[in-house]
Amino acid sequence: MSTEPFLVLSALLFTIGAFGVLIRRNAIVVFMCVELMLNAANLAFVTFARHHGNLDGQIAAFFVMVVAAAEVVVGLAIIVTIFRTRRSASVDDASLLKY
Amino acid sequence: MSVVGLLFLLMGAMAVGSALLVVTTARLVHSALWLVVTLGALAGCYLLLGAEFVAWVQILIYVGAVVVLLLFALMLTRAPTGVQTGLTTGNRVVAAATAGVVGLVLVTVVVAGFGGARVSVDEESVGSATSMGDAIFRHWVLPFEVLSVLLLAALVGAIVLSRGRASSGEETP
Amino acid sequence: MIAVHGSVLAQEIEIESPNIAYSAIYPILIVFGVALVGVLVEAFAPRPRRYVVQTVLAAAGLGLAFVGTVLVAGDLPETQNGLARGGIEAEGALAVDGPTLFIWGAILLLSFFSVLLFAERRLESGVTAFAGQAAALPGTEAEREASTRGLEHTEVFPLMLFAVGGMMLFPASNDLLTMFVALEVLSFPLYLLCGLARRRRLLSQEAAVKYFLLGAFASGFFLYGIALVYGYAGTVTLAGIDGAITNRVGGDGLLLAGIGLMAVGLLFKIGAAPFHAWTPDVYQGAPTAVTGFMAACTKVAAFGALLRVFYVAFGGAQWNWMPMMWIVAALTMGVGCVLTLTQTDVKRMLAYSSIAHAGFLLTGFVGVQAATRDSDDMTSLVAVMFYLLAYGFTTLGAFAVVTVVRDSSGEATHLSRWAGLGKQSPVLAGVFALFMLAFLGLPATSGFMAKWAVFTSAWAGDAQLLVIIAVLASVITAFVYIRVIVLMFFADPVGEGPTVAMPSVLTVVTIAAGVVVTVALGVAPQPVLDLAHQAGEFVR
Repeated sequence: MSTEPFLVLSALLFTIGAFGVLIRRNAIVVFMCVELMLNAANLAFVTFARHHGNLDGQIAAFFVMVVAAAEVVVGLAIIVTIFRTRRSASVDDASLLKY
Repeated sequence: MSVVGLLFLLMGAMAVGSALLVVTTARLVHSALWLVVTLGALAGCYLLLGAEFVAWVQILIYVGAVVVLLLFALMLTRAPTGVQTGLTTGNRVVAAATAGVVGLVLVTVVVAGFGGARVSVDEESVGSATSMGDAIFRHWVLPFEVLSVLLLAALVGAIVLSRGRASSGEETP
Repeated sequence: MIAVHGSVLAQEIEIESPNIAYSAIYPILIVFGVALVGVLVEAFAPRPRRYVVQTVLAAAGLGLAFVGTVLVAGDLPETQNGLARGGIEAEGALAVDGPTLFIWGAILLLSFFSVLLFAERRLESGVTAFAGQAAALPGTEAEREASTRGLEHTEVFPLMLFAVGGMMLFPASNDLLTMFVALEVLSFPLYLLCGLARRRRLLSQEAAVKYFLLGAFASGFFLYGIALVYGYAGTVTLAGIDGAITNRVGGDGLLLAGIGLMAVGLLFKIGAAPFHAWTPDVYQGAPTAVTGFMAACTKVAAFGALLRVFYVAFGGAQWNWMPMMWIVAALTMGVGCVLTLTQTDVKRMLAYSSIAHAGFLLTGFVGVQAATRDSDDMTSLVAVMFYLLAYGFTTLGAFAVVTVVRDSSGEATHLSRWAGLGKQSPVLAGVFALFMLAFLGLPATSGFMAKWAVFTSAWAGDAQLLVIIAVLASVITAFVYIRVIVLMFFADPVGEGPTVAMPSVLTVVTIAAGVVVTVALGVAPQPVLDLAHQAGEFVR
């Protein structure tokens, strides 16, 4: 079996993730779709690492996972904070939020 | 077809199917649960590719930590568990067309990428924890250390945004 | 598997210790180190002392790092071809060379003055412009209590230093993986800082959400681009990618798609069209001190990284990406200058103006690329670096002025409130007019020299059409800037008119620095141009 099918799978997942970011309204689900895109990139990294026979791609995948873990912390803190504010009575500004 | 091929077909179908459900399902919590399936299937793919360490880290960090946090966030924002309408924006068709074109281009690119040069994935693996650790702490040590700074910055920032009034110690939330 | 691990453990594992030349990279380590000390200060110092300790610590750390940068620049080794000075450090992760050090210097100077803006306390009667307690809901008892107790988040200083560290790492990265990590290190603290405004909190938090989601989306593209480039070259080091392109390893589709996707991520950070949609909303919503910091420093760092990636790694494929950059540059200038015309909010106007300036910078970016030995030609590297420094100080000064013009609800950012400012405070209005003229590129301001440098390099680089578009765009935006000046000096104030709050010495110093640099680079730009020339090319 060759590495190509893995790359096709990765491209499909990336596309599905990007599609999701464009159509979903809930910020948390949008964020999940971004995670799908990062995972697609990871699959591409690992596949290419296999293809080239070096470890760089796997290291990249590992680093991306750490970054994603930090990203989820930052993102959810921001999203939960704004949720609490918007639910409270004080809506003093016009909404510029797209999602 | 080899065993690896069959396993890949299974994992690939699971990953794509569940990813589509993440994007389209009308229940928010189900999105997060389908994400678990996608991530798990990808961990399987990593194992097939011989990236043992990455596969287990995928399970630990993504399935174990990230999705759990996402579920907590859905809970904290009181996401309803039932079917909801209005979860998607109106530009569905445009988005689908754009995504279709991007997907087509990407698939063509990766298929044509190596002009038919083939590397078998049926051989022995290279991505053990030992070899990864060796590479990380020798060659990639600076970005690795910077990642620890990144985690600290994320932690500090998240605490700033969400810490209650326990700050000076006399009151707790 | 257990057996395998057991046998490995049984062996004597010898790991060579990595070779890190601390003498070359210590400015970055100082910044991160001071940020870590700042976190410890938050944990252990008593609350009333924290503000002073954090401010002094951050300013001193950035000053020290700047001195360090100058010292490192003093003894950079020559490379063999004589065009570049510097070396690859930290196991190939960082390239410490002339352009890197110039950009580090610029970022450190600009962030030093940003710290002063962050620390301004007099404008909000005794507290900083950041939320007293971010977790307390606006308009509730908890928030009123937080403000009566004078609570403030001094964590913003370490967060900002983390961002500065990432900004220094970003243009110095010598491989794409380090670059990705650096991008996230500079972005995360900024996402968080955006949501911390004391006034108009909801707008600020919406800015943070928008910046975060779009930023994460863009970094997804950047990452997939890196994956494809890695697939093409088999390595993530910039020199390795350059080698693969020169040797034509095949699979050009992968390379082109990779370059395109990476460009999306970088152009997003720069704020170039069509990836600029976040800029006005985020610039408007974020606390003004943070906006100034972002507008000045993020642009410097992101342009530094863009130059390095596209010149060092993708230089061999420049005929493939050049047309794309042409279109992006033209589109960015067009969008920037047309939409600047329609703005009624000062911060949004400055945001669109920053988009237009990104277009001018991109014009320089597609100019003459490489330097030749003994030539005094304006290379695009020199031009863009000069422009970044000049624009950074002008825009930081302009945002500092915005923090001072206030009414009862905080900053008076609506343009109509600025009518008659010239009668109220001729000095302040004069300063803002100077910044406007610098944006416009009037002779004897830094903006003129910067535009001249960028246009010269672009003209010599056969981008004449782009230069003509850029000049036209400058003429169109001139209308906006002159309209603001006319409004300030010749219009009658609406109602009570704007109030100019008297800021503390911190903001005054920042504005003064903006004025001094804007005038100095306009009247006597040669020393800085020479410095940029001496920096030479990127090491490979």
